[in-house]
Amino acid sequence: MTGSSFTRRGFLGLTSAAAVGVGLSACTGGGTAPAGSGGNTGAASNNLRVFTYEGDETIGLFKAQLKKFDQQAGTTTTVESLPGSGAAVYPDKLRTQLLGGKGPDVWRIWGGQIGAPFVKAKQALDLSPYYDKYGWADRINQQAIDGMTFEGTKAGIPMMLLGLGAWYNKSLFAKAGITATPTTYAELEAANDKLLAVGVTPVGLAGKYGWNIMRLFEYLLEHTAGPELHDKLLAGDESWDRPEVVEAFTLFKKWQDKKWIANGALGMDPADVEPGYVQGNYGYTIIGPWTESVAILSAKKNPAGFGNFELPTDQQPARHSGFVEGYMINAKSGNPDKAAELLDFLSKPETQKALQNTASSVKGAEPDPKALPLSAEWAQKYGSHPFYTIQDQAFPKKEADQYFSVQSDLLQGKLAPDAAAKKMQEVISAWAKS
Amino acid sequence: MASTAAVPKLKRGGRWSPWLFALPALLVYVGFLVYPAVSSLFFSLTNWDGLSATYDFVGLENYFKLPSDPVVVTAVKNNLIWTVVTIAVPTVVGLLLAIALNGKVHGKPILRLIFYTPAVLPLVSIASIWGWLYNPQYGAINSFLRLLGLDGLAQAWLGQDSTALWAVMVPAIWLRTGFPMLLYLAALQGIPNELYEAATVDGATRWQQFWHVTMPSLRPAHYIVLALSLIDSFKVFDMIYAMTYGGPGTSTQVMGTWMYFNVFQYYQAGYGTAIAVVITLVAIAVGIPYVRSQTREAS
Repeated sequence: MTGSSFTRRGFLGLTSAAAVGVGLSACTGGGTAPAGSGGNTGAASNNLRVFTYEGDETIGLFKAQLKKFDQQAGTTTTVESLPGSGAAVYPDKLRTQLLGGKGPDVWRIWGGQIGAPFVKAKQALDLSPYYDKYGWADRINQQAIDGMTFEGTKAGIPMMLLGLGAWYNKSLFAKAGITATPTTYAELEAANDKLLAVGVTPVGLAGKYGWNIMRLFEYLLEHTAGPELHDKLLAGDESWDRPEVVEAFTLFKKWQDKKWIANGALGMDPADVEPGYVQGNYGYTIIGPWTESVAILSAKKNPAGFGNFELPTDQQPARHSGFVEGYMINAKSGNPDKAAELLDFLSKPETQKALQNTASSVKGAEPDPKALPLSAEWAQKYGSHPFYTIQDQAFPKKEADQYFSVQSDLLQGKLAPDAAAKKMQEVISAWAKS
Repeated sequence: MASTAAVPKLKRGGRWSPWLFALPALLVYVGFLVYPAVSSLFFSLTNWDGLSATYDFVGLENYFKLPSDPVVVTAVKNNLIWTVVTIAVPTVVGLLLAIALNGKVHGKPILRLIFYTPAVLPLVSIASIWGWLYNPQYGAINSFLRLLGLDGLAQAWLGQDSTALWAVMVPAIWLRTGFPMLLYLAALQGIPNELYEAATVDGATRWQQFWHVTMPSLRPAHYIVLALSLIDSFKVFDMIYAMTYGGPGTSTQVMGTWMYFNVFQYYQAGYGTAIAVVITLVAIAVGIPYVRSQTREAS
């Protein structure tokens, strides 16, 4: 550097100035999000991209149906899947893709508060015209459509209507001397005691992420509060600081103290625990019909060794936890009509059957009793029962995490049931204000 | 001949030649580091949800909210504990292992490999492995304790606030010990034997040799180990995310994970980037003494 007026200080100074300049140029955006926000799949073409979370068990079937659609529609559809992450990670990746300007034309998503942000941010297309064009409302369960309707906007087409119940291991129930599945809450508690007496942890639930162990609490809340009050609590129309909620928290703690859930369940991973009833580690778990293919059939077990029942609430009408899953179309898709045509194809009963959907929301696509006997049994017995919204979809993610945090503190003895009820009311009040 | 011809050419290029050489790297640096960083700074002054096309400018509101966020308080505390423990323990253990392996030990190469292997394993794999080890019902740790008759010590390691953070720190220490060990070992092998011989002639004990010969000679290695460990500690994210997801509740949240939760999960990108800016500023503040000492030493 000798013989030059160039100095390190000067170099750094100019670099900083460049950085400030770049920064200032970024600041002049004036209320518009970074390039790519909202996603942009490019000009109209016959290329479609689908983002989903199909697992290894079903992705092959899904790709086969996409190929069939491509042959019919003259499209080229590619699919990307992020299996196994659950609602904890998948929406993040979807959002990142949309912001990066490479959003998919079609994406699979859960209903309720998980899908809602994409509609609020106007990333998802209003599908009302396509509902009219293809007559989807006649083909699909209305309760499922409600789950994909966001403040009056039909922004998604539901393909799955999933109800959660108890899926159990028949040999462990027999070992415990349980001859019939519980039909009252008292019978369920008695069954737990019998299982425990023969050395079997009654219910396999895990606390990591919060949503899995929550399934027990939401059931207890349905039991103590009943359908009407439960729905009002979820909507924030009634205070959580009330005896029914305190009672639900008291029972929740009781399930842990009586060791009906595994000691240390709070730190366990749902992926490790959910198949536990198939492996003989737990008497039952609280899960939906997908468990038949994911846990039972994939483990090469005979479905005859397992069964399911609706968790008894002692309330009328009998309800279980449920949620919907379906698809949305990118509002910036280069070819929304073809994307809608794809969704129409996917929502046909024959396609749903070919996809082996264990809980299809499409009429005429009920599970095949030969291929999926337990799912068929569930659909036949409880499929028509109403459901309460599963609570990680009832609340936005932040509030849901606070809800899980209250449950965690209660189980660890850091909060008494009445304090937990008060804390939940604070969470709901803050949500209402925001 | 070639060199004499090159000198006037460089002079003809004048003051812009260095800039032309630096330009490609500078463009990459500005595009991929400076611009995103400054953008983040800007978005920390907005209420952008991270998804919508629009946002409002809210000034310093996100920064003012930080102290009253109870999770931020927990996260800062956890970051401090994490930093102290995951720097101190691997550094000391790494140094002791290096000293041991620098002596006459059988199977030295294999031992080095064993101690260093955790450092090259993918973090998510480590998190999964340790997650299974910690399983309260079937995990090897509790099974081992029960085998020894220490049933009372068997814990729900990741399932209670009191032990979760410490339980995550154990694999972090395990995987981070190999790196300082390797650096110290290289530095130890560079210390001239004459220094020890002279110290022995002067009657210095082993302990005195360690304090007055070994430790001063390792000073450059200390700087590198401490600086890199500090950076590693500040960016802690993956182990916590993979092993506890910030739980139970929010008990193992650190600033990195809490930033992630706000930006990516709660649709509060403005607030989340404010956390990111704070993390960056603290890291810079902590890094300045190291950079200054290095600069001083170099000059």
